[in-house]
Amino acid sequence: MGKKFCALLNKDLRMMISGKYFFMAAGFLVLYTLYVNLGYVRFMKEDPYHVYLYDPQGLEEDVASEIIRVSSKEELEDALQSDGGSAGVDLSSGKVQVILYEGTPKSDQYRAAYALSRLQSSHEYRAEVVGDHTLEQKARREITCELLFFEISAVGFLGIAAILFKEKNMGVIRVHGILPLPKGLFLFSKMIIFLLADLAFAVLLTLFNTGWAQGLRVLPGVLIQTIFLSLVMALVGIGCSLLLKDFRQFTLAYLVIAIFVATPVFLTANTPVKLEGIAYHPFYPIYMGLKNAYFGNWAADPLYFAGVTCGIVVLFAGVWLAFCKEMAKEG
Amino acid sequence: MIKVKNLTYSYHTGGKKHPGSRPDKGGRQVLQGLDFAVGDGEIFGFLGPNGSGKSTTQKILTGILKGYGGKISFWGQDISVMQKKEFLQKIGVLFEFPYLYANLSAADNLNYFASFYPKGQLRDVGELLDQLEFKKDFLKKPVSSYSKGMRQRVSMARALLSSPKVLFLDEPTSGLDPSGAVLFRRIIEEERRKGTTVFLTTHNMLDADLLCDRVAFLADGQIVAMDTPQSLKEQNNSGDRAPTLEDMFIHYTGRGLS
Repeated sequence: MGKKFCALLNKDLRMMISGKYFFMAAGFLVLYTLYVNLGYVRFMKEDPYHVYLYDPQGLEEDVASEIIRVSSKEELEDALQSDGGSAGVDLSSGKVQVILYEGTPKSDQYRAAYALSRLQSSHEYRAEVVGDHTLEQKARREITCELLFFEISAVGFLGIAAILFKEKNMGVIRVHGILPLPKGLFLFSKMIIFLLADLAFAVLLTLFNTGWAQGLRVLPGVLIQTIFLSLVMALVGIGCSLLLKDFRQFTLAYLVIAIFVATPVFLTANTPVKLEGIAYHPFYPIYMGLKNAYFGNWAADPLYFAGVTCGIVVLFAGVWLAFCKEMAKEG
Repeated sequence: MIKVKNLTYSYHTGGKKHPGSRPDKGGRQVLQGLDFAVGDGEIFGFLGPNGSGKSTTQKILTGILKGYGGKISFWGQDISVMQKKEFLQKIGVLFEFPYLYANLSAADNLNYFASFYPKGQLRDVGELLDQLEFKKDFLKKPVSSYSKGMRQRVSMARALLSSPKVLFLDEPTSGLDPSGAVLFRRIIEEERRKGTTVFLTTHNMLDADLLCDRVAFLADGQIVAMDTPQSLKEQNNSGDRAPTLEDMFIHYTGRGLS
């Protein structure tokens, strides 16, 4: 049994190599790492809204260093016009007037409150950092979680399907129907090889982007969530490649799957938008489990484990049926 | 010895059927009570037009399709109670198309498929490919660079690799040039001499005529004639000219060659 499984693993590994799977994964790993370290973290370090102050009577002497003083009302208007996200404070009438170019109600309130807080230098507007959970570390964990989820559920999934369609089109799946081989091994081998690739990707992505010390601390939880997501996506990928006619058909299905999987989950988890019934979305608990794992809050909820395990078993059964059907197809 | 008794099969429902019974609503009964036996070391030709049930029969005999009606036994043992692993170790199958891993070489393909059989029953890959006159300089090149004939040779090597007791061949000479076809026929005859039973499915009447000890003509899921090619031809000799197996095909199946 071990020898047969090793032969299957070896063959699947070679299929992945010839399908440039690892090349693609390495490329995305570099791309994500560059994006996080050279792009995303820097965006997060950007100064908050600029605050322009027009105070011809010198009513506010002790303002915070972030305040930019302007000498005329025209200059204030020009500044606000050219710097749309900024806030202006006009003290020319003797009263505090906050001037904004309208955005969204929430952000307008934030900008106004921030502008007013800057009128006094003693007011601290930054939240206190507890332990090593800095703003940068928070940003790194959030974006690493999103990128890992996106990689496994969208990019890697596409790679899996491409390889499996190649194998299907070669017709070799049918040959396995007459080999003295427990048929489940054929599916297990694929699940294991894609799982190992995803785990390696998760380890490297986490360590490169959250730092070694922080990364190692959250890795156990992250890897457990990665196992769930990887197995689910591998089974969905195998199922699609067995049920759909060709890769062209798959690309259409992929759009639906990717939009269905990614959009509502990202929208609910990362924005104030709360979609009704999102708790029943099959990928939402996995995404939140992954996110919680990145923040070290991962708790072993037996119900969650049971639910995901059941889902994987059901998917495996479906894929098994599709696999048997494919083996029996016309030559 | 292969014995098939009252074999029925219906697509869509896949349920058991009895000869003459109607298929379920929406189902299509493709086999309607086949009865035949193939002796050890015999080359048995299974001939018929497209859609007559040849492939379905072969799939049932190789254990790929379940849900059939009737009885099938190999070497006196019912196929449904046989250990599947042991059964599959004893058969070799050549599919109509050369299904191989295109990214792997011939040697890698054969070594991969060999890894599922016990070492003791395996033939030497190099010797097999030599026997099939495979060009050695292609041995390590990926299958994607092979011609159809070369792929067919590798597929035949895969079928013979495990020294099978029963060899199922589906259009073995398809895609081969005449010298390749002669070579394949010679190899099939050598297998028969070794005692291997050969179940040959083909549209190539020359192959059937030259190779088969007996042939069965299948039409609409029923065996309409079964005998040696010679006897069938003699039975239908009207005197104008000596009939060929192609004439018999048209005569028994009621259709031209597809």
